[in-house]
Amino acid sequence: MTMARAVRVQSGLSGRVDWTYIAAVAGLIIAGSLAMLSAASTTSFYSSILQKHFIALTLGITLFTLTLAFNYQVFQDQSKFVYALAIVIVAATLILGKISRGQRSWIHLFGFSFQPAEMARTLVILALADFLDRRARKIGDLSTILVGLALCGPVMVLVLKQPDFSTTLTFVPAIFGMMFAAGADLFQLGAIFGFGGVAISVPLIYTICQVRYPLASATSLPGMILATSRMGWATLAAIGIFCAIGFLAWRVASWMRVQVKPAAFAAIPILLSAALLSGILVHRQLKGYQRNRFVSWIAPQSDVQGASYNVIQSQIALGSGGMWGKGLFSGTQSQLGFLPERHTDFVFANVGEEMGFWGTSLILGLYMVLLWRIVAAARQARDRYGYLVCAGLASTIAFQLVLNVGMCVGLMPVAGVPLPLVSYGGSSLLVTLWTLGIVANIYARRYALL
Amino acid sequence: MNRGGAVPQERLEILWYCIAAAGLVLGLRLAQMQLVQAAEWRLAAERNRSQMIHQNAPRGRIYDRNGVPVATNAPAFSLIFLPGKDRRRQDLKPLAEELARQLDRDPETLLESLEQAVREESAVRLAENLPTQTMFRLSELKTIYPGVDLIVEARRYYPFGRFASHLIGYMGKMGQKEWRERKPKGYRVDSRTGRLGLERIFEDELRGRDGGLRMEVDAQGRLKRVIDKIPFEAGSNVHLTIDSAVQRAADEGLRGTSTGRGGAVAIDPRNGDLLAMSSQPDFDPNAFLSTDPGEVQSTVVGLSEFNNAISGAYPPGSTFKPIVGLAALSEGRVKPDDSVFCPGHFELGGRTFLCWEHKGHKRVSWLMGLAQSCDVYFYTTGLKVGGAAIERFARDFGLGSLTKIPLKFEKGGHLFGPETRKKAGKSWYDGDTLNLAIGQGELTVTPLQMAIATGALANRGNVWRPRYIQKIVYADGRPDSVMNSELRQVVSAKKEAWDEVQHAMEVVVSSGTGGGARIPGLIVAGKTGTAQNPHGEDHAWFIVYAAKPGEPASIAIAVLVENGGHGGSTAAPVARKMILAHFGMEDPSAPRRPAAAAAPVPAPMPMPLPIPGRTR
Repeated sequence: MTMARAVRVQSGLSGRVDWTYIAAVAGLIIAGSLAMLSAASTTSFYSSILQKHFIALTLGITLFTLTLAFNYQVFQDQSKFVYALAIVIVAATLILGKISRGQRSWIHLFGFSFQPAEMARTLVILALADFLDRRARKIGDLSTILVGLALCGPVMVLVLKQPDFSTTLTFVPAIFGMMFAAGADLFQLGAIFGFGGVAISVPLIYTICQVRYPLASATSLPGMILATSRMGWATLAAIGIFCAIGFLAWRVASWMRVQVKPAAFAAIPILLSAALLSGILVHRQLKGYQRNRFVSWIAPQSDVQGASYNVIQSQIALGSGGMWGKGLFSGTQSQLGFLPERHTDFVFANVGEEMGFWGTSLILGLYMVLLWRIVAAARQARDRYGYLVCAGLASTIAFQLVLNVGMCVGLMPVAGVPLPLVSYGGSSLLVTLWTLGIVANIYARRYALL
Repeated sequence: MNRGGAVPQERLEILWYCIAAAGLVLGLRLAQMQLVQAAEWRLAAERNRSQMIHQNAPRGRIYDRNGVPVATNAPAFSLIFLPGKDRRRQDLKPLAEELARQLDRDPETLLESLEQAVREESAVRLAENLPTQTMFRLSELKTIYPGVDLIVEARRYYPFGRFASHLIGYMGKMGQKEWRERKPKGYRVDSRTGRLGLERIFEDELRGRDGGLRMEVDAQGRLKRVIDKIPFEAGSNVHLTIDSAVQRAADEGLRGTSTGRGGAVAIDPRNGDLLAMSSQPDFDPNAFLSTDPGEVQSTVVGLSEFNNAISGAYPPGSTFKPIVGLAALSEGRVKPDDSVFCPGHFELGGRTFLCWEHKGHKRVSWLMGLAQSCDVYFYTTGLKVGGAAIERFARDFGLGSLTKIPLKFEKGGHLFGPETRKKAGKSWYDGDTLNLAIGQGELTVTPLQMAIATGALANRGNVWRPRYIQKIVYADGRPDSVMNSELRQVVSAKKEAWDEVQHAMEVVVSSGTGGGARIPGLIVAGKTGTAQNPHGEDHAWFIVYAAKPGEPASIAIAVLVENGGHGGSTAAPVARKMILAHFGMEDPSAPRRPAAAAAPVPAPMPMPLPIPGRTR
């Protein structure tokens, strides 16, 4: 009797689990493992990579199953602990971490090395979901956005301190996505993220001007744009132009009898000027290698042997794969060592070379299925918390996909973001499987009964 | 649950549409790269993985008329560098320093070559023609520094060194402009091309087609395996009419004269074959292929590309007198027995024209006039025959015009006479006739022209356009290309006149000024010349032809020694050596040395030099 009941509960859970979702995860793990193992086969520590990968895979699958087993709402109940854990692990990394490639992003524990930034991101998503859920009645207030950002801020700053710019960047779409999905005021959301976006693109525009037009005279447009970075009269003039734009917009709007508060037009020059000034500050703080990454994105042909070597070799690998690819273990770009980071950040290029369009579209398709199922989980979640967690995870996974694949195909700058489940990286695999386990959990418990 | 009222599901849908749109963009980009542009990217991947090591085809050999190779190839080890794809500048520095130590070269220039290779993504030769012991040491470097490799290839080698340098030419690197022009023909930036003479003229024939190995390399430039082997095609061989023995005698003879500057040409009067062409100062073409840049540099700096034998125009002086004599005798204006009294000078219109022998030759007729080269005799004869006839005969002998030998920079010299003057609208004076009659004045000739004219004196009137190529044996099996001499023109003169002139030229050598070329057992006929030169010491001339008794003359020579002074003492011995070499004779006047002592070590012992009197 007890046996039969247990079986029914078991089948009850299995009946609620999203098998399409599980299949997409499994498919990505299998295709990713194949590509990664082929790409890594020429490295000198191949056996160690194999070993680590399969240990992480076993642990990850166990973790996925474990996460599926208990109710996800425990994360909301223990939200304070979740948030504290996020702060503790990134702070511990800064204190205890080992420096590798100029970054203090690894923590070594019991013979295992672990990269906590990605785990911190999931923890922040969980904590922010709880916060937004609590603020549901005041969701339209500006304070919701500001406090929410203040909540995420410390973790992001600590990750940026490592310094790991690209992982910090992946926090942004998650936060934006969650606030957007929670129903935050669009004007406020637009103003704040617009400010951030402009502030980030200002140094980008400066770098474009410096790289594309190194000999531009002071009177040409790039020369005048660069002049604003020197905080002088040119900067004031730019602010003046922003004021004029705001005034003109107001005049045009009132002429067209558009019903908008005048305050919105005052916001335009204020927002733009503030973003410009912050952008100039960021531009001055930018490190050389970060500038190089911009350069290799903007002008990949400018220095083939230097920073953009990776981008070009990756494109050659991907493009040369054609429809069917050159076959596993026989891509010349990866097996002869032309493709850099071929089992980690650029593993997708290796897929493209060895498995062709067939392989890349398979992985891209599996990813779209995965994201579709995460969005479906959000749609059907039993509570607002689950909805927000899924929306945040969908945003950040989609952003990583776009950044990584976009980098391999030359549409995005070299950001150093791995492709979840496909790129080699034990801790990343572990954390991703745990995170995906939460999504599976939310979906499986979509009915309030269980 | 749902503490905050309804969830804004429409926001989630917008989010999902954004994600789907991003996925669509990525998918389209993948399709564009992998389906539409796949061929281009595949080409780029192929360029990445394979690298060509070019192997120079052995250049065609150049043989003399007896099949002795005068330009050939020697195997040489070259150190090459294949740049890897992800090589950074700072990696090159230790390699450059290590190589500089091994090769004893400047690390800066080596680094420059390495950087250029990386920049242009093409293999470079770092050093050529390496000695064996260096080679073994360098092959160890291969294992330490990826991209460094050794290959064997054929390198041009000139076994005689300084030998007919101006005729054969040398090999050198191309300038930027030349390379751009030659690139479509398969030349590479480090290809060497013929820079002068035959190497340049027959560049297309001699060159052959370079082969190569297509190797698979990894990102560090390490060789993985040979993908493809393209065999080279050797160049075509060129057979010259040059006789290496005569040529060597001419080169060494001229080099040994007092000034060491001049030109010498020998032809075969029977068929117009060029037997020797020497111009001094010359150079060693092997020096341009040296691995030591200092040696190449010093050779280039000291290089005289000026070929005296075809580009140097000098007054012929007394060597012109046989032609004047032939004109006078053939026109019947002078009988061989007509005698002239030479007091050492000649008066014409109040001006005094001196004979070289200021004491005078007393009474001279044709034979003694030529044998002693009496200027007064030729002044008189010249006035009798007239400038116009002399000019006509000189023109018939090919003077004053290009021989059109297929070599660059040939000069035609300058012939003057009444006809030339008339064309220029100027008048002709008897004083000009006197100058023309002794080969001075405005008359200038090249050693080649004089050799051809001497040949015409030997063969009684046949003026050849000389050939220097017997045949080209094509490597690709095409039938040999045989080149023939051309009879350019014929000097018509009476038989008695030829008899007299040839006899008198024999007397010049047997008992006259040309005694320096006397060889027992051969008929040697010549004429000395000491051409006055306004710029300095007189130029020494000697023209000569020689025959075995009872046979037609088989060699005609013109030797010029710049500022050499007396033709009989300076130029004639050079010609004599050439004649001896031509007939394969030992120099009977040289002391017999044991055959083993072939090394040119001059024994510093006093020996009687039976050089016949310092007369002309």
